Amino acid sequence: MESKPDRPTAKESAAALLDAETARATLADGIATPSWFFSSIGVAIAVQIATTAAGLGDDAPWVLAAGLAVFAAVAGVQLARFRQVNGVWLGGLASRVVLGTATPGSVSYTIALGAAIWAAYGDRWWLVALWAAVGGAAYTLSGRRWMRTYRVDPAAHARGESLAWLAVMAAAAIGGLAVLVRNA
Amino acid sequence: MAELDEHVVAPVRLKIMTTLTAVSEAEFATVRDALDVSDSVLSKHLGALEAAAYLRRHKGAHRGRRTTWISLTPQGRKALTAHIAALRALIDGID
Repeated sequence: MESKPDRPTAKESAAALLDAETARATLADGIATPSWFFSSIGVAIAVQIATTAAGLGDDAPWVLAAGLAVFAAVAGVQLARFRQVNGVWLGGLASRVVLGTATPGSVSYTIALGAAIWAAYGDRWWLVALWAAVGGAAYTLSGRRWMRTYRVDPAAHARGESLAWLAVMAAAAIGGLAVLVRNA
Repeated sequence: MAELDEHVVAPVRLKIMTTLTAVSEAEFATVRDALDVSDSVLSKHLGALEAAAYLRRHKGAHRGRRTTWISLTPQGRKALTAHIAALRALIDGID
């Protein structure tokens, strides 16, 4: 049986706390994203926005589904690479960066998707491409911003949303798309 | 004044738990390297923290080999927060 440890002095406590915080900062600073991580997610989002708008504008749900499949494949591969490279899992990266729940990512995505769908209904395909590119670029920048924020305060940003919350969001997004497809 | 947590008072355990707050979960060798401790020392302290329900371990794979993944439990996060508050009070001379 373990004996009860002695109460540390103030000096020992300060040293132990500093040492622990240094170890945490070292781990967080050492976390690296795989090559083309943010860019590939941004491109996949641009494809997803364009295909969603085109699928709704042209009444072709399979185009919409193909874009979602491309995004899911890119996201899955990049998150698996991240876990393999670093030996850690960051729920915050998966939800805030890849699934776009960070405020800049979600707001820019919603605006770009809405504008692209509006352009598709008016057969302005060059505008669809433009809004898809804008949405993808904003998503990329939002992801890079989150990574900088994480490194400043890793404990506050590591975990992200709960699985239950992500499931609710996913259900709402799928429901919204189903309504759009039905009314297209 | 908040009490120090006897399960976390050893500096290496404080270091393990604080480091784990930076991730959702981490693989055994990653934690070992970050803390610069031996396998046996890490295993011993992980076992004690797991017995206190402050962290959980599960078997998994990493780079093609079987390994252990470690994460803090909600109870562990709460205990760590309370312990750090008690440490800060001790450092500030509040009694």
